[in-house]
Amino acid sequence: MSRKLLSTLAPPALALAALLCAPASAATLAEQVETCGACHGEDGNSRMPRLPSLAGQPNFYLMNQLILIREGVRKIPEMEALAKDLKDDDILALAAHYAAAPSKRSEETPDPALAARGAQVAASHHCASCHTPALTGQEQMPRLAGQRIDYMVEALKAMRDNRRTSADPLMVETVVGLSDQDLAALAHYAASK
Amino acid sequence: MQTRFISKASLRGLVTAMAVASIGGAAFAQATAPAAPPPVSDLVRKQAERSKQDVNLRGHPVPPIATPRDKLPMDKIKVPEGFKVEVFATGLAGARMMLLSPKGTLFVSTRTLGRVYAVTDPFGKKEVKTIAQGLTLPNGLAMKDGALFVTANKQVLRFDDIDATLDAPKSVDLSEKFNLPGDLSHGWRYTEFGPDGKLYIPVGANCNACEVNYGTHAHIRRYDADGSNMEIVARGVRNTVGFDWHPVTKDLWFTDNGRDWAGNEGPEDELNMLPKNKTGASFGFPYCHANKVADPDVVRPDPCAGVILPKALMGPHAAALSIKWYTGDMFPAKYKNVAFIARHGSWNREKKIGYDVVMATEKNGKVKVEPFLTGLLDEKTNSFHGRPVHILQLKDGSLLVTDENNGAIYRITYDAKAKTARL
Repeated sequence: MSRKLLSTLAPPALALAALLCAPASAATLAEQVETCGACHGEDGNSRMPRLPSLAGQPNFYLMNQLILIREGVRKIPEMEALAKDLKDDDILALAAHYAAAPSKRSEETPDPALAARGAQVAASHHCASCHTPALTGQEQMPRLAGQRIDYMVEALKAMRDNRRTSADPLMVETVVGLSDQDLAALAHYAASK
Repeated sequence: MQTRFISKASLRGLVTAMAVASIGGAAFAQATAPAAPPPVSDLVRKQAERSKQDVNLRGHPVPPIATPRDKLPMDKIKVPEGFKVEVFATGLAGARMMLLSPKGTLFVSTRTLGRVYAVTDPFGKKEVKTIAQGLTLPNGLAMKDGALFVTANKQVLRFDDIDATLDAPKSVDLSEKFNLPGDLSHGWRYTEFGPDGKLYIPVGANCNACEVNYGTHAHIRRYDADGSNMEIVARGVRNTVGFDWHPVTKDLWFTDNGRDWAGNEGPEDELNMLPKNKTGASFGFPYCHANKVADPDVVRPDPCAGVILPKALMGPHAAALSIKWYTGDMFPAKYKNVAFIARHGSWNREKKIGYDVVMATEKNGKVKVEPFLTGLLDEKTNSFHGRPVHILQLKDGSLLVTDENNGAIYRITYDAKAKTARL
């Protein structure tokens, strides 16, 4: 499938998902998880291109990001309707649920040459300082190990290009100036961990 | 809501339909493989290695949910004898700057959380409303003629007659007129209207340590309230997140945060003073740091030539933010015209420092810095219980201090009688 075709196909599908699954605050955790699972994978490991896996992310990271998404600090149009009515307690429960879910690699295959290159970039930029040596994340810093490559490439570019205004300024400082290839290499490396 | 009416089967169908697209995703990711790897652009992180600091130092998270009142670290906080610290307000996750309007609403900003709160009846019922959300780093609050100015990164929003419109606040977007840069690096701003009626807005360096264009970054600027007549008042300022005008001399005093990844012991944060007749002067960044320390990365001959050096050093990586000259009558006479400075606390230092409020006393041109509010830093475990950001003096002479980490405001009062009774 060409990249162009993908980009024309994915957004309507996402919009449809957003339309269909709006977790009201009154919904139970199980109902909310089912809604999230429609796009992020039933077990929290995403099989959707460009959509992140939630399983095994740090509890604080999930909680923080859901609050930022709910309030429009982190702007994701497809998530707006889904997150806007979530209460803090819903978010805490969802964060705890996905933090405890086992992380599994996506169906993407990391390119070994790119992953090797990414290991160098990661070392020189001290990714492990915040994301831990196993890249499993901690506190406000996400798990990268096993995360979808296509999602990470897009996230890294958005941070570098100042399109993700909710990003941690320290993270932005770290990736500013990196080439597209370096960012892809980082994503392949992280996914291979 | 809708969730209940969607069958499991239809959700699965959706997942399957979307999974088709995932094949394309993998192909796209592989297509980006380069023929030969380009050199790594690693100026930023090489600094970490050379500084010989623990490379695992990292920024602290800002909790987006406020600490419940009964879990606040009140038993840890220490102040000099006769002073008392109480909880003034809670439920203000990520609280940063405060502004008390003449009509009696207490506005509170946040940084990463994107909200602005209004505490109505702050000396009574203290009802918290969120009047704006989803903003990018809306640290800056200022007020003129009943209008609240919120500066959020590159945005400047004016909420006219805000006290009367708290339930349906409307803003005028002045961003185009102010034309602020949108970098996230040091992209949060402390703002205040000066004695000259101008709106002062700092624009920090868009990096940790690098060459900057003084015309766009690393300076303090001021504008007329409508965003016209921009003028740079101080250059070479890495990132100031607090300033105040001296109550007697009317000079502008401001804190400035020293760079990271150049060692645990420095360069130190600065307490600077811009004399009235030195508008536009340079304070040294990126070439010259506090104590005439030349930058190891951004080099030029005579780095400190023509630079105004700090009046006092505020500690390495301590994150000195708000400064407030004390003009009240509640505290003992020796506190008159003393500057209280909130130190947010370090991240880029192995042994943590700050997380307190210090006082700076000026005598014969020399400034002495001493502790005032302490206890939020536990030196034994190298951990902290709170992070002070902003200081506001109330009419009765008491002080309010925001704690970003706990989403709370503390009030510091003094009672001479209580002191006598203990003696």
